[in-house]
Amino acid sequence: MEQDINLNSAESYINPNAEEEDNYSGPSTRCVMFTLENETYGIQVKKIREVLRVGNIRSVPGSNYQVLGIINVRGVIVTVVDMRTMFNLPQKEITDVSRIIIVELDDEQTVGMLVDMVQEVKDIPESRFEPLSSAKDNASRHIQGIAHFQDRVIILVDADTMLEQHI
Amino acid sequence: MDEEILQDFLVEASELVDQLNEQLVDLEQSPEDADLLNAIFRGFHTIKGGAGFLGVTSLVEVCHRAENVFDKIRNGEVAYDATVADAILRAFDVISDFIEQLNAGERELPENDSGLLDELDAIFKGQVAEQPVEEAAPQEPGEVHLELPEGVDPDGEITDDEFEALLNQRDHLGNDSPAGNVSQEMHLELPEGADPDGDITDDEFEALLNQRDQLIDIDDQPAGQKTAELHLPDGTDPDGDITDDEFEALLNQRDQLVSEVEEAKVAVTPKPQPKPVAPKPTSAPKAEPKPEPKAASTASKAPAAKAAGKAAESTVRVDTRRLDEIMNLVGELVLVRNRLLTLRGSEASHEQISNAVANLDHVTTDLQTSVMKTRMQPVKKVFGRFPRVVRDLARKLGKQIELELHGEETDLDKNLVEALADPLVHLVRNSVDHGVEMPDVREAAGKPSTGQIILAAEQEGDHILLSITDDGKGMDPDMLRQKAVEKGMMDEVSANQLDDKSAFELILSAGFSTAEQISDISGRGVGMDVVKNMITKLNGSIDINSVLGKGTQIRIRVPLTLAILPTLMVAFQEDNYAIPLTSVQEIFDFNSENTNVIDGQQMVRLRHKSVPLFFLSDWLSPGVDKSDRSHDKVVIVLIGNQRVGLVVDQVNGQEEVVIKPLGVMLKKLEGYAGATITGNGQIALILDLPGVMQRFQM
Repeated sequence: MEQDINLNSAESYINPNAEEEDNYSGPSTRCVMFTLENETYGIQVKKIREVLRVGNIRSVPGSNYQVLGIINVRGVIVTVVDMRTMFNLPQKEITDVSRIIIVELDDEQTVGMLVDMVQEVKDIPESRFEPLSSAKDNASRHIQGIAHFQDRVIILVDADTMLEQHI
Repeated sequence: MDEEILQDFLVEASELVDQLNEQLVDLEQSPEDADLLNAIFRGFHTIKGGAGFLGVTSLVEVCHRAENVFDKIRNGEVAYDATVADAILRAFDVISDFIEQLNAGERELPENDSGLLDELDAIFKGQVAEQPVEEAAPQEPGEVHLELPEGVDPDGEITDDEFEALLNQRDHLGNDSPAGNVSQEMHLELPEGADPDGDITDDEFEALLNQRDQLIDIDDQPAGQKTAELHLPDGTDPDGDITDDEFEALLNQRDQLVSEVEEAKVAVTPKPQPKPVAPKPTSAPKAEPKPEPKAASTASKAPAAKAAGKAAESTVRVDTRRLDEIMNLVGELVLVRNRLLTLRGSEASHEQISNAVANLDHVTTDLQTSVMKTRMQPVKKVFGRFPRVVRDLARKLGKQIELELHGEETDLDKNLVEALADPLVHLVRNSVDHGVEMPDVREAAGKPSTGQIILAAEQEGDHILLSITDDGKGMDPDMLRQKAVEKGMMDEVSANQLDDKSAFELILSAGFSTAEQISDISGRGVGMDVVKNMITKLNGSIDINSVLGKGTQIRIRVPLTLAILPTLMVAFQEDNYAIPLTSVQEIFDFNSENTNVIDGQQMVRLRHKSVPLFFLSDWLSPGVDKSDRSHDKVVIVLIGNQRVGLVVDQVNGQEEVVIKPLGVMLKKLEGYAGATITGNGQIALILDLPGVMQRFQM
């Protein structure tokens, strides 16, 4: 008990805005968070069509190494991309919690993104977004920014710019 | 503007515009046809009505005048001659343009060019229109504005100098002929005895005009008037000095007479270049070459604009009988479904289930055909624009061409109709530009001076055959072979080995134009290969045949529908692939004893011929042990003109599949035409054979 109280007071000392975060009512963006190798990423909900479990992915010989293959989503053929390769992470085996996030790009095309795990949907206040300042040209384009929120660092991804280089 | 009403109006107006296009060209051939005139009148009237209701004033203005003119024509008060035709066609282009803009989403239309409106009004009132002479803006015909030189008293009498200055201006403006034969300045000399410093009398004026005529006539054919008889308007003092108004009135008369003379001349002997003052078929540009003649550009703009407009709303007109058929079939489908449901519940004999399934098969096939038919449109929709294209182009080039259309009622899938429009336009323009010769050349060769182009469509089983035949100068295979060598496409030996057919097909390669003169219309060598690509994308093929001196025939074959493809299903381990059945010629067991290596390429013996062999497993399932090929099969396919053997692990039989696009990230991948879902829910990749070949040739 005492510990809890201490922690609470400590927390408000360390992070004076903690309470504010939970009751924030200003402009915010609703994002779906997913995990890739212990990092948390976020994508705007409005870009997401659906989230599917991973079934059979039909490989397409001759395609880029980033493209895992294609799947059939109710009669529509959707290309599945391995998000790990997009961020230069080593490939991993598909697990029970892996998911394919179907995103809709600007021109109404859909692409599936394979991720390690999908977490939750959160409203992130826009004030928390910081643009990425990085020397690396390549990565910075598809990362919309970094948000520090509820003690986590969330990397915000812009699906369109990330995938357009491969189109 | 109510959007819904506007869209309905646009659908109807677009159809009317298509019809009017054809009707107006037909009218030139039979200008007295009462039915045609009435139909055209009604067409303009209907568009005007709708436009009025929607408040599109610019459109109303043009339609109103066009309608007026046609009213007069059908009452016999005005004749549909070349001048009127040009004005009407220009008005039509404006109307067509407005409709396109509205289709593309524009809601504010620009104001009309008052010159055109005035011209139409003039025709309506019975005066022949002023010359649509160019000023600065190429597309707009205008009145001839002549300006008195500075310092001149505009109300006083005109002096010789002013008169000459005005004539020069007029010459300047009228001097648009592409050849620019006529010199810009003309030196006219007053007849002897005339007082050069005094005011000009009518006689002197007439004498000067005569001189001018003679100078212009020097380049002309002998037939035709040399002098123009002009009459001063009533009430003027014939002995007094000429005022500016009278001067302009005389000029107008002169124009009228000149244009009549021109028509007579054109009817007698076709001339290569229009006279500087003659009315022009299209608003001919000034010396600067315009990218494309306006009418043709409207025609080619039409598909582009239509493509843009499609984004707004794409509709198809369906005969209600077709809909009734579909309703019936759906009803049958429901009955079969119910039957199967009942059978599922109860203990059904195999025979009963078998019957129900057979019924289902039947009904589904019929339903499929019926629904596909709703998307069918007669080829007429595409063919409709050609009479105008040919007419305008022929006139621009000074050729005489008759276009015949066959098989307009042949039905095509709507997608196909739209996709074929551009390639066909290109091919027809090629025929006009490079195929059919100039009238004098034709006569010298013993051909009738009017060239003939036949555009035909017919159904051949599950394919549509389109052909463009001209009786022009044909192609010389030797020249084509030579060009190929010159362009570095192949060496002399290979070029000489090409048979004539293959030589003709060289023109389908990129950058291959053999036209000596690259005109605005064609000859840049970027057209034919684009046409080939478009046709290949539709799973079709092009065939070229030509006889030097006699003519050329280009045939295009496309499958009836785009979406469904009969295929041969093959497999590698568990991966399914589909090969378009139309390319498949035969299948046999693989036997390594029948193969050998020639020049580094694996070949298989097929009835005394050697066919190149490619092992698809190298590409599609690399890394798999393929030492045992005893169960493999060879599929002989036809790719372009070449026969090729593809070795596959398994052949699973025929299946009609629905082609699903692969998605934007994989579209560029060579070798795949799409994907499909097989009967057991698996994804099969559909192979694109030319693409497959590209891969193997790397």
